Amino acid sequence: MSNDRSHLSRRRFLSNFAFASTAIATGVGSWVVRPDWANAASDPIKVGIATDLTGPIGYAGNADANVAKMVVKEINDAGGLLGRPLELFIEDTASNESVAVGNVRKLIQRDKVDLVLGGITSSMRNAIKDVIVARGKTLYIYPQLYEGKECTPNLFCTGPTPAQQCDEFIPWLIKNGGKRFALPSANYVWPHTLNVYARKVIEANGGEVIFEEYYPLDQIDFSATVNRVISNKVDVVFNTVIPPGVGPFFKQLYEAGFLKNGGRLSCVYYDENTLNINQAAEIEGLASCLDYFKALTPEDPFSAKLQATYEKQFPGTFLFAAGSAATGTYRGLKLWEAAVKEAGKVDREGVAAALDHAKIAEGPGGPAEMVPGKRHCKMKMYTAVAKGGNYEIVARSAGLVDPKEC
Amino acid sequence: MDNLFVALFEILSFGAIVVLVVLGLGIIASMMGIFNFAQGEFVLLGAYVTYIVHSAGLPVWLGMLAAPFVVGALGFVLERTIVRRFYAAPIVAMLGTYALGLIIREIVRGLIGGLYLSVPEPLGGSVNIGTMHFSSWRLVIILITALVMVGSYLLLARTAFGLRIRASLENPALARASGISTNAIYGATFAFGAALAGLAGALIVPVFSLFADLGLRFLIQGFVAVMVGGVGSFAGPVAGAGVIGTLAAALPWIIPPVIADVLVFVLAIIFIKFRPRGLISTKGI
Repeated sequence: MSNDRSHLSRRRFLSNFAFASTAIATGVGSWVVRPDWANAASDPIKVGIATDLTGPIGYAGNADANVAKMVVKEINDAGGLLGRPLELFIEDTASNESVAVGNVRKLIQRDKVDLVLGGITSSMRNAIKDVIVARGKTLYIYPQLYEGKECTPNLFCTGPTPAQQCDEFIPWLIKNGGKRFALPSANYVWPHTLNVYARKVIEANGGEVIFEEYYPLDQIDFSATVNRVISNKVDVVFNTVIPPGVGPFFKQLYEAGFLKNGGRLSCVYYDENTLNINQAAEIEGLASCLDYFKALTPEDPFSAKLQATYEKQFPGTFLFAAGSAATGTYRGLKLWEAAVKEAGKVDREGVAAALDHAKIAEGPGGPAEMVPGKRHCKMKMYTAVAKGGNYEIVARSAGLVDPKEC
Repeated sequence: MDNLFVALFEILSFGAIVVLVVLGLGIIASMMGIFNFAQGEFVLLGAYVTYIVHSAGLPVWLGMLAAPFVVGALGFVLERTIVRRFYAAPIVAMLGTYALGLIIREIVRGLIGGLYLSVPEPLGGSVNIGTMHFSSWRLVIILITALVMVGSYLLLARTAFGLRIRASLENPALARASGISTNAIYGATFAFGAALAGLAGALIVPVFSLFADLGLRFLIQGFVAVMVGGVGSFAGPVAGAGVIGTLAAALPWIIPPVIADVLVFVLAIIFIKFRPRGLISTKGI
């Protein structure tokens, strides 16, 4: 028997070889979604999505890929763009920058896509932007809420910036929480940069920062921090600790009586996905500020339609939520569609020039428009509060909020 | 004064959590000479079993009761089919068990969709004394950790089964000659270690919520604890876990947390430099 196994037949070799070469050629973790009406007369426009389908933030990446499939299908069903169908290329960035660079290079060099949309963390954006924009000479759209300061030409951002998440939110927190802020944070670039901005807004509105402290990304015991919050009589915890630490942190705050004594939790990346990290009572009253909440669907028919379409096409655990860049992905693709229509072609210079001032009348949470020359997006912002395991919208911006970047 | 009590309680409770997690790891390392890198994933599985039982609508404590048995059974199967092939080569065993852990972790990640899920504690809320609040569930964990520690010690030190385990460790050939099936003993010891990990996972999941990297988070801390405590005895890893857990929880009260995180490991390395066999270097219990 063992003799048999060690014997490599020609047939086995050939079949292994065929499998291996297919795997190398297509890459593991690559998906191509072809339009069903592609024909020889009009070759398709190629849309590249590079997102974290696997790894710790796979839940967000899968939602983004789903949104892309939804938007591309909708555009194709309506006759395509410039009379050409869209072909979707999805690559896995695997929550790992070194894997990502290789896979994104495939999108650029092998598939020759006309646009890359994706990246969720800032470190991912920084790792792949050079491959796409500088060496790849391709248009790049980054869809996630982030710390700002990304001003690379041909790189457009469609998620909220610190100004959009703080300018209206922090005055609301001071009014509905108190003046004494604590800024517990995970030790990486987003919290550091966001806190600089948040501190300015807090102090400009008459609040004060009692402490600003940074923790290792995998810290899960926060007893010392909770004690500082309680003993300093902090009114508002403006949290930028991320999972896995955020769950135990909120729980310990709750157990120490922070909420019972009238304290206010706030966290600007909290969306429908993160609601399940804690039991409802532990985060009762937590406030978040984002461009979209599912709670908007009763008042905004377009958001309701979008949410329903998504849930019908992709039932399951990957939610259409703002904190995982799903709304930014939608906005990015639709703005790009508008820009391609205006430019009448797909080359980078033409589309970038049109995208610079592109507008969409409808989107998740309302309309959106690019601020000319800034490559960031104006949008409506909403403040929501967690009540019994769901969000309730408590405040909304009067109009589109300026990103104040670049 | 209030602050001091709260600090002591929090430090003690985190120390207890680390001891609970390290207990199974230490028993497998000390009694079998195998560094089981899949131990963290056994913790994760214990947590996952609790979550499954809870999401099926059954009470959480039932899941916590089931977890050690389910994970212990799985540990037994894995020992019979895979781990036993590594006894001759401890280094390969590390890689092999690491691979096992990786497989379990990624399967669980797939099953829970990579999300972070809350599991309620059977006993919620907090005990209030004056202005101080003590989490009831952390109190329960401290209590159960103490019970499990004493129980494991008695099992290893006072029962015939424990004697056989120790005999198989000390001199396998002689043990076999005396009619002890070392093979069966190894299987049972590994299953026991896995069951302890399962119990740890079940008890800590309400505190930390369920996520795929839950076990990984404790694995490195666990191994440092075993190193500091010393391999070869029951008491060694437990003492090591106490020291590491206490340090990890206590340092952030006095110095910035980012430095504290590193300092724990630096202190551990310095300690091992001067006392390479660990706190307790004798063999046996």
